[in-house]
Amino acid sequence: MTRVRDIACGRSGDKADTLDLTLVALGDAEYALLAAALTPDVVRARLAEMIPGEVTCYPVPGLRALKFVIRGALPGGVYASLHAGLHWQKAATSALLEMEIAQ
Amino acid sequence: MTRFVRSIAGGAGFAGDRIDPAVKLAQSGRVHAIALECLAERTLVPGLRARRRDSAKGGDPRIARRMTPLLGPAAANGCQIITNFGAANPAAAAAEVAALARTQGLADLRVAAITGDDVRHLAGLIRWDDPIEGDLLGAHAYIGTAGIVAATREDAGVIVTGRAADSALFAGALIPWLDGSDTALAGAIMLGHLLECSGQLTGGNFEAPGPGALTAADYADLGFPIADIRADGTFEICVLEGSPGRIDRLTTTLQLLYEVHNPAAYITPDLTVDFTGVVIEEIGPQRVRVSGARPAGCPGQLKVSGFVDRPGAIADVEVGYAGHGALHRARIAADVLRLRLGAIPEADLRIDLVGVNSVLGRLAGDSPGEPAEARVHISARFADAAEAQIVEDEVYALSLSGPAGACSFRSETRPRLEIVNGFVARELVTTEVEWCAA
Repeated sequence: MTRVRDIACGRSGDKADTLDLTLVALGDAEYALLAAALTPDVVRARLAEMIPGEVTCYPVPGLRALKFVIRGALPGGVYASLHAGLHWQKAATSALLEMEIAQ
Repeated sequence: MTRFVRSIAGGAGFAGDRIDPAVKLAQSGRVHAIALECLAERTLVPGLRARRRDSAKGGDPRIARRMTPLLGPAAANGCQIITNFGAANPAAAAAEVAALARTQGLADLRVAAITGDDVRHLAGLIRWDDPIEGDLLGAHAYIGTAGIVAATREDAGVIVTGRAADSALFAGALIPWLDGSDTALAGAIMLGHLLECSGQLTGGNFEAPGPGALTAADYADLGFPIADIRADGTFEICVLEGSPGRIDRLTTTLQLLYEVHNPAAYITPDLTVDFTGVVIEEIGPQRVRVSGARPAGCPGQLKVSGFVDRPGAIADVEVGYAGHGALHRARIAADVLRLRLGAIPEADLRIDLVGVNSVLGRLAGDSPGEPAEARVHISARFADAAEAQIVEDEVYALSLSGPAGACSFRSETRPRLEIVNGFVARELVTTEVEWCAA
């Protein structure tokens, strides 16, 4: 097993109630691992523990990147959040980076 | 390869961004233009509230602080400034810039305001994603490059917009030098998208396995991005020579895909752009070449951000515990609050432990060891603002009737502001250039 954060980097963003997560793999082999392991179903199950919303996956093989867009994840936008402090969602990618996947 | 026709820098990535990097870029004489992105989605709200109180207000409150050190070097080197810090009142913000220019003896500086993004009066014609339940504080359409291009062609020294698309601040200042093709426009929009978050392109908010991590000293002096563009819309990214920063395939890819949703259809007011064929080449230690943005049609509607003040309030309170068993006592305190405030609907109440699970909730994993301090955080939403006080009172009551050592309280009550997306037919939105006499 390997941890996603050992083969990729990530960044979280948001627009209104939509959460937008990006992972970029270090190289082609790492991208193949990521794309095989982080299927839409796997990511959907993982994120459901944390947030509501429908997960759409956009693989970008040319850039060795995976995008996950979750509409309805941030109901009412970031101001309406009940989390401690504003912008908890800027750390949301770590939910994926901490995952263990098959090598 | 053809020559570069224009150089532009990203001098700010949010309203409170550092001021000195843009000053350094202007002083360098290295760039023809600097765009200052100072208007996040939600940053319009303080401007809207200020404009309600006083119709001459509504621009960014930091204009004097940001522009006082920047105007002189920019004017001396013929460096154009394009910015959306006009927020809810670009005309008033432009007038403030013109007044600052006068006090600095820059009477020749041409300052333009771009208006037309405020579509509050069209509220009934906007197709909202969600119903507007409350007071519609404001509605602003994302406008494109047209006004910025017109003002640039008339030699504007400073261009002030409100809710323009961030990428349009850059593309609008470049279009007069491009070859006129949609492919070149797609490249300029991609450039703007990459540079609009300042240090987030040059190594900030970035961590990857392997070598190359920036130090505290690097972050403290992080170079903001510069792009040199060709007429065909391809470009190269770097920082000022000697400035710290990390510009490589990884940092550029992360920012390219940041907040774009569908990478095959990044929607902007002027053009939808397909990023899936983009090529990022590392051509120097701090330099990448970027090409391959493809035009993918022009959207028939403009996106609108609506800001809604819902009735009621959010209470947001914290309490600390310290010393041996701090986390244990914090957990008990959280349980006490759950018992005392059990009447609040689950969806309107959040109780967590800062440093343990306040960010990722159930995905946070096991807490590491025994901390020296722990904080309980509680937020609750109320339809009646007067009821929100109960949360603060219940947390303070822990100091008399809860686990030992409740301390370091923090409490705030904030309005229930929500952002709702909408769309409006583009022909209903007309932008205009208004010139200010310096």
